[in-house]
Amino acid sequence: MPFPGEAKPPVGIVFDSDLGNGVDAALALALLYGLEGKGEARLVSNSTTRSNLNSAAFADVLARFYAGPPPAAGARGFEREMPPIGMAETGSLSGDTAVLDAVLEKKTADGLPAYPRGVHKLNDTADPAVLIRNALTAQYDANCVVVLAGPATDLAQLMDLEGALDLIKRKVKVLVMAAGSYPDGPVDFRVKADGAAAKRLLAQWPTPIVAVGTEVGDGLPFPGSSIEKDFDWAPSHPIVDAYLASEPMPYDAAAPSMAAVLYAVRPDGYFKLSAPGTIGVLEDGRTSFTPAADGRHRYLVIDPGQKEKVLRTYAELASAKPVPRQFGRRPNQNKNDEPPPPEPAKKP
Amino acid sequence: MNITRKALHRRSFLRGMGAAVGLPFLDAMVPAMALARAARPPLRMAFAYVPNGIIMDQWNPAHEGRLGELPRILKTMEPHRDDILMLGNLTHNTGRALLDGAGDHGRCSGSYLTGIQVKKTTVDIRAGVSCDQIVARHVADQTRFPSLEVGMEDARQAGDCDSGYSCAYTNNLAWKSETQPLPPILNPRALFERLFGNGVILSPETQARQADYRRSILDFVGEDTRKLEATLGPTDRRKLDEYLSSIREVERQIERAEKTNAQIDPHMEKPYGVPADFAEHFTLMSDMITIAFQADLTRVVTFMMTREGTSRPYRELGISDGHHPCTHHQNKPELIEKVTQINTYHATQMAGWVAKLKSIREGDRRLLDNMMLVYGAGLSDGNRHLHEDLPTMVIGNARGTIKTGRRIVYRRETPMCNLHLAMMERMGVHMEHFGDATGQLTFADLA
Repeated sequence: MPFPGEAKPPVGIVFDSDLGNGVDAALALALLYGLEGKGEARLVSNSTTRSNLNSAAFADVLARFYAGPPPAAGARGFEREMPPIGMAETGSLSGDTAVLDAVLEKKTADGLPAYPRGVHKLNDTADPAVLIRNALTAQYDANCVVVLAGPATDLAQLMDLEGALDLIKRKVKVLVMAAGSYPDGPVDFRVKADGAAAKRLLAQWPTPIVAVGTEVGDGLPFPGSSIEKDFDWAPSHPIVDAYLASEPMPYDAAAPSMAAVLYAVRPDGYFKLSAPGTIGVLEDGRTSFTPAADGRHRYLVIDPGQKEKVLRTYAELASAKPVPRQFGRRPNQNKNDEPPPPEPAKKP
Repeated sequence: MNITRKALHRRSFLRGMGAAVGLPFLDAMVPAMALARAARPPLRMAFAYVPNGIIMDQWNPAHEGRLGELPRILKTMEPHRDDILMLGNLTHNTGRALLDGAGDHGRCSGSYLTGIQVKKTTVDIRAGVSCDQIVARHVADQTRFPSLEVGMEDARQAGDCDSGYSCAYTNNLAWKSETQPLPPILNPRALFERLFGNGVILSPETQARQADYRRSILDFVGEDTRKLEATLGPTDRRKLDEYLSSIREVERQIERAEKTNAQIDPHMEKPYGVPADFAEHFTLMSDMITIAFQADLTRVVTFMMTREGTSRPYRELGISDGHHPCTHHQNKPELIEKVTQINTYHATQMAGWVAKLKSIREGDRRLLDNMMLVYGAGLSDGNRHLHEDLPTMVIGNARGTIKTGRRIVYRRETPMCNLHLAMMERMGVHMEHFGDATGQLTFADLA
């Protein structure tokens, strides 16, 4: 319950992706950090379904980059604490990619890593299911959106935890999943990579689901021209490095995960929604959509009249400069929590 | 006591004049024919808790794997490093604010063994059954006391001890039910009477009147002792003598504390008979826990060294500032130094206790080998009130089921309740779920 006079915080976003598999998930995170910087959202959990330490390390790099410069050495007060990154141990995707290599192997002129990272080994990461469960416990009811931008492996494991379904039902407004093609279309690798998990997720997830298909990602691609001009405020930018490594320039990157994030935080004014129905997963990995009045699934539809606005928003927010967090006081700390002044020394 | 040529019963007592003294594990308790069948002393589970977090960079060893040189706080534990397992990254999510605002001290101790997000209240308290009490129920018919709750400071059960959290949360570890904490015994005499008396705790005045003519409890059971000794072999006689001597020594220390009670520092709030000196008090209480384990009076103990959030000064160390204010050091070196000294002092007391537990033989093992003693805190960084990477060590190998002498760092956010599940399993209690556990902790190194 909020304390008297305390406003409900911005929506909490649980972000689970296949980070490093192309540039879409990285762009979506950049967009999310941009929205966080504007105070419209909070990234409360960040995990990767790739069983690859470099994918988790990339997520950590982005978290550090968007947190702004670290406090000066020896500064008093509460130190900056980087949030844990979840990483699947048994995910279906595992290899390194050109995107991951480009970011993590980049060096400064002095030969040092261009981007500091805090993930080096397995125990620098968290179990995604536990990380997401713990994040949800700290959210107000119905003040959280889960964004899935990868295979459903981690969310399926989340549902297996004791009490998780009830928790999800209470805390999560909607699951926005960037996977599939709607109302029908080709196989999406994010579904096929863990078809069993996708089937379970669609059948058992206890909140409404909004799917973002490949057709939305292809129809609203991130403009490559933005990479060349909007990010130049940073001498070295991990999103630019990832973008350049993903495909030969010039290209506009398919961005279904960006659409998912934008819809999760700003559900009105950018997209249309399909009628309700039920999404299923076919044997070959394609998705199907069956309209049904009582269905809990919908899919996102491009609103042609909003296309320019969407692309402008992508570019503006994904390229926004980091807004440093306040590190002097922990969240949820109030004045009653101040330590009492030390007792004066007494003579023996 | 009925002494025959048959094997001595494990739960035999020396009795006399209202006193009952349990016996340690003796060879005579194992029938000759059963020796080969590996009759075993019981396994015990204990938690020793310190408040206000730890200076973690002086607690965590630099490396995972086999323990080498230990950091400053644990220096005195180095002789015991082959008997300890240090665990990293264990987390109590239910100790975090989770929308309940301030009160990390109240929450961290309330959730430490319950795994529950306790209700923020000073009136209608609500936590959960703690893992020690789940085990206590399981072994209740096998020992005189299902569990012992021991402490050294402040057993208040009412009032606001942290930002709206009842003192019941900060001052107890053991919870028999959602609404019934089990307050720790703070007074050495009270603990002694509980272990060896007839259950009646005498008032300080009555105790004082009796002081002039009080005899040792061993005098009361002298006749039984002599009868038993006549039936024992030399090894058992020596064991029994050492055991009874340790009881006598505890008695002497209690008497000494009671005599010097009037001379303690007037700034220290100490009930009658509680030693003014922290180390002396610790030794007394830990010695009695040891005796209780030896005599199989109980197999489950919680030991709260000081209450969570305590502002106790440590004048023994020349620290007149309160413990809690010091932990909010805001990176000031002089305050960090004070907290480090307090942390080191606590660990030094533990090291002394571990040495004692190692020195006692039980069958072909040491008493410590038949134990799981968890030493730790409900906060890691007391400055920031962090509930992750809780300082946790398991002392003793639980009859060889835990490989000690190592440090294991689990994945971040690994639930502390996974450790509780693993310990309960070893105590014979299998549970699928406890708190926010995701499964039993495996004491294996991560790949």
